[in-house]
Amino acid sequence: MKKIISLLFISALGVLLLFVVASMPRMGDPESPTREHVIPRYLENAEEETNSPNVITGIILNYRGYDTSGEVTVIFCALACVLAILGREKRGRIHSYVDRSPVPASPVVKTMVRFLAPFIILFSVYTILHGEISPGGGFQGGAIVGASIIIFTTIFGLWEASRRIPQKFRVPLEGSAFIIFFIVGILGIVGGGNFLTYAWPNIANNLQPSVVLWLTIIVEIGIGLGGAMVLISILFAMMREEEAIAPTA
Amino acid sequence: MRLLHNYHYIGAVILFCIGLYTVIVRRNIIKKLIGLNIMETAVFFFYISLGYVDNGIAPIRVGGADPSKMVNPIPQALILTGIVVAVSVTALALSLVILLYRQFGTLDVDHLMRDEAEEAKEAGE
Amino acid sequence: MGAYRHFPVLMITIPMLGAVLLPFLGYLRKRWVATATLLPLAVSAVLGLLLIGRIPADGYLSYELGSWPPPFGIEIRVDYLGLFMMLIVCGISLLALVFSMRYIEREVEGPKLTAFYVLFLLLSAAMLGFTATGDIFNLFVFMEILALSSYALVAVAGNRNAVRAAFKYLLMGAPSSIMVLLAIGFLYSVTGSLNMADLSTRIAESSYSEVLIVAYILFVIGFGVKAALFPMHMWLPDAHSIAPSPVSAMLSGLLVEVSAFAIIRVTFSVFGSGAENLIGGTVDALGIFAAAAVLFGGIMAIIQKDLKMMIAYSTISHIGYIFLGITAFTAEGLAGAMYHVLDHGLAKACLFLCAGSFIYVKGYRRIDDLKGAWRQMPWTCFAFAVASISVIGVPPTAGFISKWYLILGNIEAGNYFYVFVLLSGSILAAVYCFRVIYYMFFQPPKEGAWESRTNEASPSMLAPIWILSFGTLFFGVFSYLLIPSLLKAAAFLL
Repeated sequence: MKKIISLLFISALGVLLLFVVASMPRMGDPESPTREHVIPRYLENAEEETNSPNVITGIILNYRGYDTSGEVTVIFCALACVLAILGREKRGRIHSYVDRSPVPASPVVKTMVRFLAPFIILFSVYTILHGEISPGGGFQGGAIVGASIIIFTTIFGLWEASRRIPQKFRVPLEGSAFIIFFIVGILGIVGGGNFLTYAWPNIANNLQPSVVLWLTIIVEIGIGLGGAMVLISILFAMMREEEAIAPTA
Repeated sequence: MRLLHNYHYIGAVILFCIGLYTVIVRRNIIKKLIGLNIMETAVFFFYISLGYVDNGIAPIRVGGADPSKMVNPIPQALILTGIVVAVSVTALALSLVILLYRQFGTLDVDHLMRDEAEEAKEAGE
Repeated sequence: MGAYRHFPVLMITIPMLGAVLLPFLGYLRKRWVATATLLPLAVSAVLGLLLIGRIPADGYLSYELGSWPPPFGIEIRVDYLGLFMMLIVCGISLLALVFSMRYIEREVEGPKLTAFYVLFLLLSAAMLGFTATGDIFNLFVFMEILALSSYALVAVAGNRNAVRAAFKYLLMGAPSSIMVLLAIGFLYSVTGSLNMADLSTRIAESSYSEVLIVAYILFVIGFGVKAALFPMHMWLPDAHSIAPSPVSAMLSGLLVEVSAFAIIRVTFSVFGSGAENLIGGTVDALGIFAAAAVLFGGIMAIIQKDLKMMIAYSTISHIGYIFLGITAFTAEGLAGAMYHVLDHGLAKACLFLCAGSFIYVKGYRRIDDLKGAWRQMPWTCFAFAVASISVIGVPPTAGFISKWYLILGNIEAGNYFYVFVLLSGSILAAVYCFRVIYYMFFQPPKEGAWESRTNEASPSMLAPIWILSFGTLFFGVFSYLLIPSLLKAAAFLL
């Protein structure tokens, strides 16, 4: 019964949405309303105004930087939520089901992970630092770092991983993304503009582009570092087993 | 007939409905979360299609690329935020699922709610 | 332009910075965390108070983030109603925080305390940002911080009921957020803009009326779930009654109101000026649901046995009041709705904190157990009575003023049926509130339930309760301080 009602409700919603979608401007139309209003300035001037040839990075970090500062807060908030629900690990020894698995991972896998991990991290550094020129950026790079640690943890176990990236190292860095955004924002006010102004009006015009470039890169690094640490902490909190549940190995 | 031109949007709407159906009807809470992610993906798909322009190129100003041919960068920038939000919601939901499973020993919504009704009855007596 | 133009953005980002720095402090010095949480919120409140008088009732303060002119960058736009809302958020968050410093250790385990305070700060900061923003996608971002932190705060106690209530809340809340995102996409597809003021002019010129109507419906559903409007309220009674009491006070006193405020923003700032005829049908339907909410919430509150459950259902009823003020589409109605946000925030926060005090001192949750409670806790009971009177809407309290203007607005709009609904809502409120007051003051206590000498909760818990209940009286007596400006601001928004 519940199934039929929800099916009816959802098909009604679907028909409504299809009807709406049909009356929208044609997809890919070069003259649709989305192409004529705000976009031209972004596409024409973003390179000069934000000093990043990748227009998307320019929008994310500069034109709509405030959104991104909210976004790094969202992911920090996710970490706080996970910790509020599951609790942070105690300092010292923690373990997961991988650590007490009776079958150890095969040496082939272990060697491959050891061999690949530095290259994955190198690639993530490249992704972060080249975010303003090529596809990529802070979040993507941070996610790649997180992925490399996830591989490491699923093969070597939580005990090994948490020894390499201890809590005292993660705690100060988890919030680094927003802290850097806040500092850049305040510097914008000090520099004579508004919050999050990258091109400070108080300095010479010819210096502005390099200031903008450096601030962009610093913010990218902050996002990457913070995002990676948050992902790792979420992973550790989720994989960790309660002492009460974990059998004594 | 615009509907045929906007076939990407139709795909997004269908995905959205599948996701919503999964969230409402499925009993397993992990499947509900998968449904939630399908809904989110549908919306992302809609946004990215929205930014497309005929024969568009990536919005990166390298090598004298023509700005008038570039796809719309705003939906892509927005969806990067959307993806991060989706990841955060999923992380939170999964940690709730871990706790629910530890405490109830089941992932079936009907079981969870039946327990609730019984507990309420006991409390009322 | 003085330095004060930076205040709104600092009001939002300083609590966020505090939240981000707090785990580090928690790692070093755990005992200072609770006190350190107060500081950023207090700074925000002071900045907000300094802004009073700087923003005219028929104007706004526009702040361009990153110095980009509005349709290109993000704009923070604080008008009089926005500042009003931000001050309510700061004030009630501060009081709930002071209350929770003693209370929360009972319900939350030690290792999770830091995370609790971080989430509390993030929730307050997100509500401030949500209220102040002038950009529709930014609204979504702050809504997500708001939603995530409130899901986790409901679950923070970690027992079976709390986790289940939080999961129920999440299963309703997350799809509603996605609907808001879809609605933003629809609006963007036909206007090409994300700035609210710019959107409203573009919507007035737009010829895609079907898309706009459905976008508005999706906004109403999305924010309606967050605001617990009647058919979408299923998550609220569980979540609000099971969460720790200061969190209930935040959710019930602020979060649902802030979501209703988002509907005010979307209705008046985005669609209002150019598309009244488009959204008219949806607004009428919203009025019917709101009227149903007033009656349903009132009736359900009467039959509850659990005190916090009763207050939670009363919240559903009062959200109906706020929406009836919005749907009247008159300045009186809108001013009444905003005044009701203030009054309901103060009164509901007070009621939930009182319920928290009863739980803290005696562990009693059921209304039956409150018989004769005044012998032991006279001050708490007295504050509870004052707040209840404001919930009913009896003259010296703020509740009377707000209901007066809601009724005036609906009479002006010619919705006499809604006037009847508003009045019957007050009668229902009288029934469920006077029952509790009668039990507290005029019934003999059960054997051994209450001591006969005064033994209250600690002063740091009693003070917020008293400030809140005094606030309902103060804004009832001195309503002339705010009402003329609110009327002017509402007329400006229409």
